[in-house]
Amino acid sequence: MAPDFGFWTLQTLNALQLSMLMFLLSIGLTVIFGLMHFVNLAHGALYGIGAYVAATVAGVAGYWASFILAPLAVTAVGLVLYTGLIRRMRKSGPMAQVLVTFGLIFAFLDVTRIVWGDIPLALEVPDLLSGRTSLVGVEYPTYRLFIIILGLTVLAALALILNRTQIGAMIRAGVDNDAMASCLGINVEKLFFVVFCIGCGLAGLAGAVAAPVLSVTPDMGLHILVPTLIVIVIGGLGSLKGAIWGSLIFGFVQTFGAVLAPQLSSMLIYGLLAAVLVIRPEGLFPARG
Amino acid sequence: MFRHTPLRYATLILLFSGAVFQAFTGDYYGLEILSEILILAILVLALDLVAGFGGMISLCHGALMGAGAYGFALLATQAGLSPAVAIIVALILVGFIGCIIGAICARSHGIYFIMATLAFGQMGYSYVFDAPGFGGDDGLTGIPRPDMSALNIDLGDSQTFALYCLAALCAAYGLVVLFLNSGVGRSLVGVMHNEVRMRALGSEVWKIKAIAFGISGMIAGVAGILLAQHSMYVSPSIMNWTVSGEALVVVILGGLGTLVGPIVGAVVFVVLKHQVSALTSYWHLVVGCLLIAVVMSGSNGIFGWVETQWTRHLKQRQSPRLAPRSEPTSHQETVKDA
Repeated sequence: MAPDFGFWTLQTLNALQLSMLMFLLSIGLTVIFGLMHFVNLAHGALYGIGAYVAATVAGVAGYWASFILAPLAVTAVGLVLYTGLIRRMRKSGPMAQVLVTFGLIFAFLDVTRIVWGDIPLALEVPDLLSGRTSLVGVEYPTYRLFIIILGLTVLAALALILNRTQIGAMIRAGVDNDAMASCLGINVEKLFFVVFCIGCGLAGLAGAVAAPVLSVTPDMGLHILVPTLIVIVIGGLGSLKGAIWGSLIFGFVQTFGAVLAPQLSSMLIYGLLAAVLVIRPEGLFPARG
Repeated sequence: MFRHTPLRYATLILLFSGAVFQAFTGDYYGLEILSEILILAILVLALDLVAGFGGMISLCHGALMGAGAYGFALLATQAGLSPAVAIIVALILVGFIGCIIGAICARSHGIYFIMATLAFGQMGYSYVFDAPGFGGDDGLTGIPRPDMSALNIDLGDSQTFALYCLAALCAAYGLVVLFLNSGVGRSLVGVMHNEVRMRALGSEVWKIKAIAFGISGMIAGVAGILLAQHSMYVSPSIMNWTVSGEALVVVILGGLGTLVGPIVGAVVFVVLKHQVSALTSYWHLVVGCLLIAVVMSGSNGIFGWVETQWTRHLKQRQSPRLAPRSEPTSHQETVKDA
C-alpha cells in the first residue's frame, strides 16, 4: 500500500484533532503549575466530570446547552476544590500535593460511579456538525473538524490574552518570578485563582468536546491523566509554548505511530518522554530560561 | 540512616507473631489474604527503600514487579528452567533493569523523577501488552510453584505458601536493613538530604542511586515472582502505573522512610480493602478520602504518627520541666527536598 496524498491529509487532520484536545487539557494544568508550582493530578478527573455533565445536559437540553453548561459546572467543582483543599495545600511540598490530588482522583472515580453508574454514556453529535465535509480532497467528519477549529480558536484567544492584555502580562510575570511579581503589587494569589478557574473551565470544555468522540466512562479521567502529563512534561512544566508544542508532538507521534508502526506505537510516546527527560530534564520549552 | 528503635522492634515482633498466628489458625480465605498482605508488604518495602531513604518517588515499581513475574513465568514455562533457577535468573534480570532505570533517572528530581519513572514503567507495560510472546491482554497461565518436596514441604498448600511468603518478606526486610546500614546505603540517605554536598565529598551520586534502585527493583521482583506463583497466573495489569500508585499510597498511609510503617500500611490497606469491598463497591472513594486525610493531617502516615506520639510521651516522662518539642519527621524533610 502506497500512502497517497489523501492518506497523509487524513492522518494529519486526525493528529491535529488529538493535539487540540490535549491542548485544551494541558494548558490549564501547565499554567497552574507555572504560576503556583501546584501539581493538580485531579485535572483529568475534572475532564471526566465535564464529559458526564455534558452527556447528562445534552440528553435534556441538547448539545449546545451542554457545551456551555459543562465548563461552568466543572468550574464550580474547581471552586469547591480550591476553597476546600487546594488553598490549604499551597504551603506544602509537591509530594503532598501529588498525593492529595491522587486521592482526589480515586474519590472522583467513585463519585462519578455513584452519580452516573458504571454503564458508559454516549453523546450524540448535534445535527449541525454531523456528517462529513470534504476538505482538500478528503472526506472528514465535520465534528472532528469542529474540534480542530475550536482548539485553534482557544489557542488564538489565549495567545492574544497572554501576549497583549494586562492580565496576560501579569500571568506571564507570575510564571516568570512569582515572588518578584508579588513585590510589584500583583496579587498572585488572586491571579492564581482566576487561572485555576479558567483551567478548570477548559478541562470541562475538553470533556464536553471529547464526549461524542469517545465513550463516557468513569475511568476516562484516569486514562487521560498520563497523556496530559506527558504533554506538559515534554513541553516543559509551566510553559505556554510548551503546552502547544507538547500537544502537537503528542498528537502527531500517537497518530502517525499508530499508522506507520502499530507494533511500536504505544511504546513510542513513552520512549520519547524518557528521551526528553534524559536529554532536557526541564522539557523542550522550559518556563524559565 | 535507618535505626531500630524499641518501638520499631516491638511493632515488628507484633506483626511477625500476628502473621504466624494467622498462618496457623486462619481458614483458606484468611490464608489467601495473608499471602496477599505479605506480597504487597514486600513491594512497598522495595518502594520505601528508594522513596523514603533515597528521595526517589518511583511510579515504575509495579512494572518492575511485573518484570519479575513475567521473567519468572517465561523462564519457568517456556525456557524450561527449574523454578529455583528461574527465580534467580529473573531476580538478576529485574535488578539489572532497575539499575539501568535508576542510572538514567539519576539526574532528574522531584516531579520530573516521578514522570521519568512513570514513562519507563508505562513503556514496559505497553511492551508486554503488545509484543508477542507475553500473552497480551490474557497474560500467562500455568506458572509453577517451586518444588520443595525434597524438604517435605508442599507449596501447593495455602498455609505453607503463606509461610513461604513470610520467609521471603523477612529476607527482604533483612536485605533492606543490611543495605541501609552499608556504606552505599548511608551514602544514599546522604544524597537524599543534600546531593550537592555528597557530590562535593566525592561520591558518585548516580552510581549510588543506580545501586539502590537496582536492589529495590530486585525486591519488587521478589514480590512479582511470589504474586505469579500465588495466583499461578500473571496479567499485564500488574504493570500498569496505577499499581505503582497504589503501592505509593500504601507507603504513605503506613509512614514513608520507616520500613516498619509501610508493612503496617500493607496490613491496613488489604484488610480495609476486603472489609470495605464486602460492604460497598466504592472502595476507591474510601481509600481516596483516607489518603487525603492522612496527607492533610501532616503526620508521616499511621506508623509515623504513632512514633511521634510515643517519643513525645517518652520525653515528657524523662524531662517534665522542658516544654515538649516534637522533632521534625523524616516525612517533612523529604517534602522540603523533593
